[in-house]
Amino acid sequence: MTAVSEAPARTQTRRVSLAERFGGLRQWILLAPGLGWLVAFFVVPLVLIFVVSLGHRDELDRVVLSNPSLDNYARAIDPRFIPTLLNSLRYAALTTILSLLIGYPLAYWISRYGGRHKGLLLILVMLPFWTSYLIRTYAWMIMLRDNGVVNSVLQAVGLTSEPIILLNTDFSVVLGMTYGFLPFAILPLYVSIDRLDPALVGAARDLYASGRQAFLHVTLPLTMPGIIAAAILTFIPAIGDFVTPDLLGGASTTTIAKVVQELFLEGRDWPYGSALGFFLMLITLVGTFIALRTLRREVVGA
Amino acid sequence: MRRERNPLLTAYAVLVYAFLFAPIVVLIVFSFNDSRRNIQWRGFTLDWYPRLFANDELLDALSVTLQVAVAAVLVSVILGSLIGLGLARLQSRARAGADTLLLLPMVTPEIVVGLSLLLFFLQLFDANGSVGQLQIAHITFCISYVAVVVRARAAGMDPNLEEAARDLGASALGAFRFVTLPILAPAIAAGAMLAFALSFDDYVITTFNAGVGSSTLPLYIYGKIKFGVTPEINAISTIIVAVTAVAILLAWRFGRLGGVERSKLVDEAAG
Amino acid sequence: MTHRYDGSSIDIEKQLVRYMVEHKLTRRMLLERIAKVGAVTALAPIIAACTGGGATASPSAASAPPPPTGSAAPPSEAAAPTPVPEPEDELFVYNWTDYIGEEVVPSFEEKYGVKVTYDFFANTDEAYAKLGDDGGGYDVSFPISVDIPDFIERGAIVALDKTLIPNIANLGAEWADPGYDPGNAYSVPYMWWTTGVGYDTSRITDAPTSSTALWDERWSGHISMLDDWQEVFALTLIQLGYSANTESTAELDEALALLEQQKPLVRTYTTDTITAMSSGDHWIGHIWGADLYQISQENENIAYYVPEEGGVKGSDTATIFSGAQHPIAAHLFINHLLDAQVSASNTNYIGYMGPNAAAKEFIDPAILDDPAVNPDQAIVDKLQELLDLDQAVRDEYLNRWQTLRGG
Repeated sequence: MTAVSEAPARTQTRRVSLAERFGGLRQWILLAPGLGWLVAFFVVPLVLIFVVSLGHRDELDRVVLSNPSLDNYARAIDPRFIPTLLNSLRYAALTTILSLLIGYPLAYWISRYGGRHKGLLLILVMLPFWTSYLIRTYAWMIMLRDNGVVNSVLQAVGLTSEPIILLNTDFSVVLGMTYGFLPFAILPLYVSIDRLDPALVGAARDLYASGRQAFLHVTLPLTMPGIIAAAILTFIPAIGDFVTPDLLGGASTTTIAKVVQELFLEGRDWPYGSALGFFLMLITLVGTFIALRTLRREVVGA
Repeated sequence: MRRERNPLLTAYAVLVYAFLFAPIVVLIVFSFNDSRRNIQWRGFTLDWYPRLFANDELLDALSVTLQVAVAAVLVSVILGSLIGLGLARLQSRARAGADTLLLLPMVTPEIVVGLSLLLFFLQLFDANGSVGQLQIAHITFCISYVAVVVRARAAGMDPNLEEAARDLGASALGAFRFVTLPILAPAIAAGAMLAFALSFDDYVITTFNAGVGSSTLPLYIYGKIKFGVTPEINAISTIIVAVTAVAILLAWRFGRLGGVERSKLVDEAAG
Repeated sequence: MTHRYDGSSIDIEKQLVRYMVEHKLTRRMLLERIAKVGAVTALAPIIAACTGGGATASPSAASAPPPPTGSAAPPSEAAAPTPVPEPEDELFVYNWTDYIGEEVVPSFEEKYGVKVTYDFFANTDEAYAKLGDDGGGYDVSFPISVDIPDFIERGAIVALDKTLIPNIANLGAEWADPGYDPGNAYSVPYMWWTTGVGYDTSRITDAPTSSTALWDERWSGHISMLDDWQEVFALTLIQLGYSANTESTAELDEALALLEQQKPLVRTYTTDTITAMSSGDHWIGHIWGADLYQISQENENIAYYVPEEGGVKGSDTATIFSGAQHPIAAHLFINHLLDAQVSASNTNYIGYMGPNAAAKEFIDPAILDDPAVNPDQAIVDKLQELLDLDQAVRDEYLNRWQTLRGG
């Protein structure tokens, strides 16, 4: 690591101070193009929508900005939305936990036992997702419906005597969402796990009584950045996913994202919809920070 | 190096892959379904494949989708990787701010992102949707995903490695190219794959930013729901899977994927 | 941009632009002018400029009164009155996917030498967002009848020049003066349908006739309702004996209570009725009549009825948008759609009935005999149209809908 060569102290000091100053600047040079793009094509449009959220509708459903106010935000805090909000949070949380639990061992396996085929195995993980999302979801519908494959197998094996309702339930929604977000968890997890120095793992094995302990105390904390990334890439989009619960869900699986969608399109109330959208963003950010802090504490603390 | 084996974990891995590919198997099987509506299995036919190639609408939609996805991947990977690397090393207080800015596109509901871009292009440029507009929109929402993945990898990397390379005489660019880049390469590749999947399948944001004559495959497919998503869609998905699988096999055959060996050497050399 | 219409190269576009610039007209104003005095008169100077003074504009053609409607009118060819103003080179149409006969667009392109760019949408909400206030780049689109008053008020669609649409004579008498657009001034009906109940006869053997069958506990877990607040409330309100467009909050509350009783029995709220009713998971559902044709292709046991309490009828309409760049081609296209044989080919392909009385002799008898698609008069009399509700009233419906659907 810091195997510094025996250079003359004078050069060394000058090098360090230059690097330090450049370090900060260099980081910003790296960040500038990307952040600049985001400011131009994300922040500015978002500001436009924020301005809309301060306005009102006229009778023709047009946006009127003459009397800007925060009324729409006050309206957004409506107890009517609580069940849908809870649905979204519940599905997102379950999806994230399941994706992490299912994905971590697979990422570990690819990294440790994949050998020459690692890249191939990773691409194999992504391959199903270069097809159409709708057709994949239809495939799940075909498998999960009352006379579908899963029910047929269950009956053939004798576990059930009648078809059980699998589709249009919480179960099918979480299943569909977990399936959809699994690669978003596996890839970042792999990227972090693969970084692990096998020597460290070997050393841990020697130090700790069992492989399990070595895993908990060394491997897991060291792969924290990957876990955090995987959690972010799963939880956040999952809260905004309304298509999967719509297609695979039933009468009681409405999500808050769908409500926002409906407000915009059916209610033609752009200002209100925008306000609710921002409100949802706020909740998601807060939820994410809490979740990440808990995750960090649980894993690193252990 | 002695290769260990872990049959339990391997069995688990097989199960997970089975889970990942189960719908794909169904998808492929149903591309041969002799039923326009493709809900129940009615019989075997190969007809959908030739019909697919006669379907100009669908082929046009596919072409637009690819144009947008390729642009989205190329630009978002470059911009996103730069952000990821920069953020991982940033020490200053602005870091939290930059972090939040990075997360915002993901946190924003898709309909809000889609509509905000529609408004933006309509009010500021009087633009009504086009392939270019789609490309910009897709790049925008892909950047964050790439950045998050690259950052995770960069965070685990020792920043002094570049320093060491510089000490040994490499230029700034050279150090970047021969030390940092190979280490980040898997993360960049992973980001690219994620970005491609995201862009290829995007529906909500695309709906609001596609214009006359720039419909994508998801738009085409969703438009068909009311009247039957014919097995042509299954057929084209099957072809995409097949083509990609062949490409992977070829790449593997010629050892490109074994590039992981080279980065391992770098790792070992770096200590 | 030159024309291939009669062989000579006439640059209409350039003349049009010059004309507008000289007279300080916007395209919208030009369209309104066309609507008022007829295309031929409005464009006479341009035609004169193009044909070098040999304009054959005849004022009589321009100011002819709209032809009498009625089923007695003989089926006519899709020929506009001479002289036909030359259509532009292109046309942009925005419609539901697969909602047009396969030969309709090609036959139009061939007849008039117009290149049609035909785009499609998945649902009305997105379509309307794209169309905005002036068509968003499209010339012709097909909003649903209930939304027409809103489009008119916003100035999004323009009054039609009936002289370019002589085939309007083919419309059935009941479509001459619809509630949403008196006299068909701004729109022409395209396809119409009913909303009712479909059920699987192999599962449900007692031949229900009332919409209360959707509340039957025996079918719990196998009932589907439409994911459409206006349709769902309409069904419930009609069942309670009220108007489908009521403004009374008391009546709406009653409807909501009834719907909440139903909710535990409902499996899904969906607009993909075809998948729902053919997968076997749903035994009875709230569906659109014309979907029956498609469902029956997958599941022959499906039957359909309009509830005895009454049902809903709706239609979509062909309209021209205020920002249309190709108004003449647009009018000719709509005229083409109203041609008896073209309309029949649409019906035969899509499975919905058109409003075209003259087309009936060309429609597939199977479709004509199908009570789901073409119900007899007694049922038609009981059908209610869904109207465009006032914003405040609409909010009342939507609030209750979201309360119902929430979690």
